[in-house]
Amino acid sequence: MPQHHPFGRLRAGWQTAMTQPSLLPQGVDPRAACATSTTHPVTRTRPLLTLSIAATLLAGCGQGQDETNVSELTADLSSAYANSGVSTKTLTRPTDAEAIRLLNQASFGASDAAIAQVRSMGIPNWIQYQFTLPQYSYQTRFEAVRPPTASEGSYAYVPWETFWARALAGEDQLRARTVWALSQIFVISQVDTNLSGRPRGVSSYVDVLGRGAFGNFRTLLEEVSLHPMMGLYLTHLANRKEDAATGRTPDENYAREVMQLFTIGLYELNLDGTLKKGSNGQPISTYTNDDVMGLAKVFTGWSWAGADTSDSRFGGGNADPNRDVTPMQPYASWHSSSAKTFLGTTIPAGTNARDSLRIALDRLFWHDNTAPFISKLLIQRMVTSNPSPAYVRRVAQKFINNGKGVRGDMKAVLQAILLDPEARDVTRVTDPSWGKLREPVLRLAALSRAYDAYSKSGTYPLRNLNDPASQLGQQFMLSPSVFNFYRPGYVPPGSQLSKINKVAPEMQIVTETSAAGYANFIRTVINSQGLGSATGVTGSDTVLDFRDEVALAHDPVKLVDRVALIITGDTMSQRNRALIRDAVSTITMSTSNPGGSRLQRAQLAIFLATVSPEFLVQK
Amino acid sequence: MKHLNWFDLPPSAQQVRRRFLKASGAAAVTGAAAPLAFNLATMGSVAAQTADDNYKALVCIFLFGGMDCNNTVIPTDPTAHAKYLAARPSLGFALNTLTPLTDRVAGRQPIGLPASLAGLAPLYEAGRLGVVANVGPLVMPTTAAQYRARTATLPAKLYSHNDQQSNWQSFAPEGAPYGWAGRMLDRLATLNGDQVFSAVSLGGNTVLLNGEIVEGYRMTTSGPVAVGGLTGSIFGTTRAGTALRSLMTESADGNLLAAEHAAMAKRSINAAETATSALNVTTTFAAALPANNGLANQLRMVARMIAGRSIVNQKRQVFFVSLGGFDTHSNQNTSLNGLHGQIAAAMAWFDAALTEMGMANKVTTFTASDFGRTLATNGDGSDHGWGAHHFVMGGAVQGRTTFGTFPDVGLSTTTDAGSGRLIPTTSVDQFAATLGKWFGLTDSQLLDILPNLRNFTQRDIGIFA
Repeated sequence: MPQHHPFGRLRAGWQTAMTQPSLLPQGVDPRAACATSTTHPVTRTRPLLTLSIAATLLAGCGQGQDETNVSELTADLSSAYANSGVSTKTLTRPTDAEAIRLLNQASFGASDAAIAQVRSMGIPNWIQYQFTLPQYSYQTRFEAVRPPTASEGSYAYVPWETFWARALAGEDQLRARTVWALSQIFVISQVDTNLSGRPRGVSSYVDVLGRGAFGNFRTLLEEVSLHPMMGLYLTHLANRKEDAATGRTPDENYAREVMQLFTIGLYELNLDGTLKKGSNGQPISTYTNDDVMGLAKVFTGWSWAGADTSDSRFGGGNADPNRDVTPMQPYASWHSSSAKTFLGTTIPAGTNARDSLRIALDRLFWHDNTAPFISKLLIQRMVTSNPSPAYVRRVAQKFINNGKGVRGDMKAVLQAILLDPEARDVTRVTDPSWGKLREPVLRLAALSRAYDAYSKSGTYPLRNLNDPASQLGQQFMLSPSVFNFYRPGYVPPGSQLSKINKVAPEMQIVTETSAAGYANFIRTVINSQGLGSATGVTGSDTVLDFRDEVALAHDPVKLVDRVALIITGDTMSQRNRALIRDAVSTITMSTSNPGGSRLQRAQLAIFLATVSPEFLVQK
Repeated sequence: MKHLNWFDLPPSAQQVRRRFLKASGAAAVTGAAAPLAFNLATMGSVAAQTADDNYKALVCIFLFGGMDCNNTVIPTDPTAHAKYLAARPSLGFALNTLTPLTDRVAGRQPIGLPASLAGLAPLYEAGRLGVVANVGPLVMPTTAAQYRARTATLPAKLYSHNDQQSNWQSFAPEGAPYGWAGRMLDRLATLNGDQVFSAVSLGGNTVLLNGEIVEGYRMTTSGPVAVGGLTGSIFGTTRAGTALRSLMTESADGNLLAAEHAAMAKRSINAAETATSALNVTTTFAAALPANNGLANQLRMVARMIAGRSIVNQKRQVFFVSLGGFDTHSNQNTSLNGLHGQIAAAMAWFDAALTEMGMANKVTTFTASDFGRTLATNGDGSDHGWGAHHFVMGGAVQGRTTFGTFPDVGLSTTTDAGSGRLIPTTSVDQFAATLGKWFGLTDSQLLDILPNLRNFTQRDIGIFA
């Protein structure tokens, strides 16, 4: 039987709540009973705000220059909605299916409580509410979990656990989902042996992404560039200036990838993300190797933070205990003093490291490509693999100017992505190339949230997920390289998509091996009603609760419709519902063990839904 | 909602569909329809009888990240070595640490291997290994003067990892649909019983293996993964398998992303049982597998698939294995030392295993990588380059020599694109054409497959007899 949560839920009344949101006791978090518990510091978020409190908080928004308030945003979007023919009602009074779509894009998946929350708040207010939630610190949690005297390398799993705790149980879903997206753009990886022993530093890096998620892109770019984990990963930490006597040249690694992957990309783009073409009809390169070599000089003379700028410290000696979590500092004697020329900009000879960095990052931040490049990447990570050029343009325009004259306001970008009529238009689900293949992490997260995943130990120990043959084939902070798990332009060879110039990034990690491995893994999770193990916990640590499905097991029609709603946002075809109903009906309701057969019916229905095409593609 | 049926799709997509039908047909003959014991008895003897069949395989060892060629093959005459050492004072290896190689052809640049690769020297001296010098993507023969004056057409996106990986494999930057090995196999398709196992990757997704008909089949170092629950009991019923198969492999709502995933699941399910049968032919080798060597584990699975070639009805196969970690911007000598050691041990094991199987003359193995690296150093590492030295191994290889032209190792040479990035003197087209000719492709087929080959007069660099 399912493990029951130690606190009550509103599951029994979900259908009523869905159709009549006003009947949901507003602001009453089913988990509020545990809100003050100190047993599970990670997962016990504050109680759900009542709408009045949320409204109070919202009134506090929009004060800063970076803020965009809802009414202005709606006005700004009104022409786009008018042109698209999509009713703005989907924003203010979303249906179940519309709320689930939003949650698939902006969170780690729908749960009954989250659906009710979105429906009662409306989508713009839900986003604003998410902006008010405080950032959860990975570094603080790391330091709380790891005993100060213990070997840090033995705690490499802590960032993964923190990720899953936030994904499955955090109230701050939009920030967590944005961190997941940013972690696939500004990639570092614990696969790298330089980082595998530094989970505290990695945790600190994730906090940079968490700040950047609701901050400004320019600040994010600088914090990423100066973080020692990025310095180790892309080897600009302790990068030395050129030396004519020995022929030594600056390390070009970061200079190349910050352009190719983090800001401007390889080819000049129009504002709508399409390629500019030269007079010969070919794409136009954004930079040459000379630009890389010029920019590489900027990233010389940066190394570990500490009390002085001695050569010893530069080279890694005399380690400050906090150097893994402190931005790199400049070392004047190792910074190139020659002129630095790249992308049409020349930093004069003799410019110091900080000024050179500021000029270089400004150049990248203000480059015409950066707005469409980053906007499209974020859309692909959250909403759809093949956004229309007009959608990319609308988001890029918000990147360029949030309406208050501020460039790079990430909140404005996220709102533009999520409130766009193209993102909200439910009729899009019938467009053959709409949506994105759910990557494995999002599949497990969506299943877990749908069934109120709960960690008995409070740690969410979802550690071993990275093997594609027997597990998910994906884990937070374990990308195989700086090129992420998959490339944003991946086109499956010989596919119909390739014939119509569409991409499917997440298909790059779907192979004969991983397709089978995923089905087997998810079946095991459902069979065990959970996964992960923790000291002192019997059975699975992180448990899924199928009680609502078990309650419907005698009625395959209702059972499958319930699963189709929560797992596929009600998009499952009648054909596939029938297939699952027929399979479920072959399980005889046992008279000697009725609970057992009810559970098996529920498990089979859920399993079959999680391998269905309607679940695998987020539409 | 528009329902897209497979016959609504254009012919190219139908062809993909036909591939799956073919694959499932093969599975029906040798897999599900026949008892496993029967398969093994019959197929094992078939495999034994056809050891001298008209079979050939190419094995690509791809070294992800860009292997530093300058510390992989090193000039050993004192003058050239001193020049090498002067150009990379902090990374270079002393002459007395190198294992010299004795070229069978007089007058070639004397070369040696670093200590980490000494395990390859016996293969070289036995004539089963050769060095392919300064090979890389080129559109046309290109000199340093032309490079500097920008008068030569260059491969797209030089020095970029993902794009040069793709260039090596497909002659186009990232996003290219077809690789040269897949396109070779397309043209040899009639030799093979079906196309599912013509191209097999142990090294992940790779464009090299994709043709218009052939698509790389991915498996793990422990073989294919079968989907549980298609047969047998799950959740208390033995009758869920049909629904499971249908949900995984059929996508009826017209979404093309879903269709693509379903196609992959179908490939996976159809091929798994056949592959398992093939792997049962040979499960052990006398040669001791190097410990903790991921590359060797991949090559072991390649050897087992080659042993089972008759069961999957293959006469021409291309295998792709890989090793990562070569992007040695820093800490190069430590990193590369370990990686070299893995390469040497894995290749030596593979040679021994193929010899044991009597297949050494029928399998040609070669290394490839994103690019070479700068001869100039950044202190403790090197940066992205272009041309590189590689190895080619096999009984058919006329080894113990250098193919192509070994460069003048130094800065500001006639092959220096800057900082000692080598401008290739042998193009990937020429190298692939040489392999392809051995593999059985005609000159006109090779000109069709290799887009720049027509720009080079020498279309066989003399690796084979």
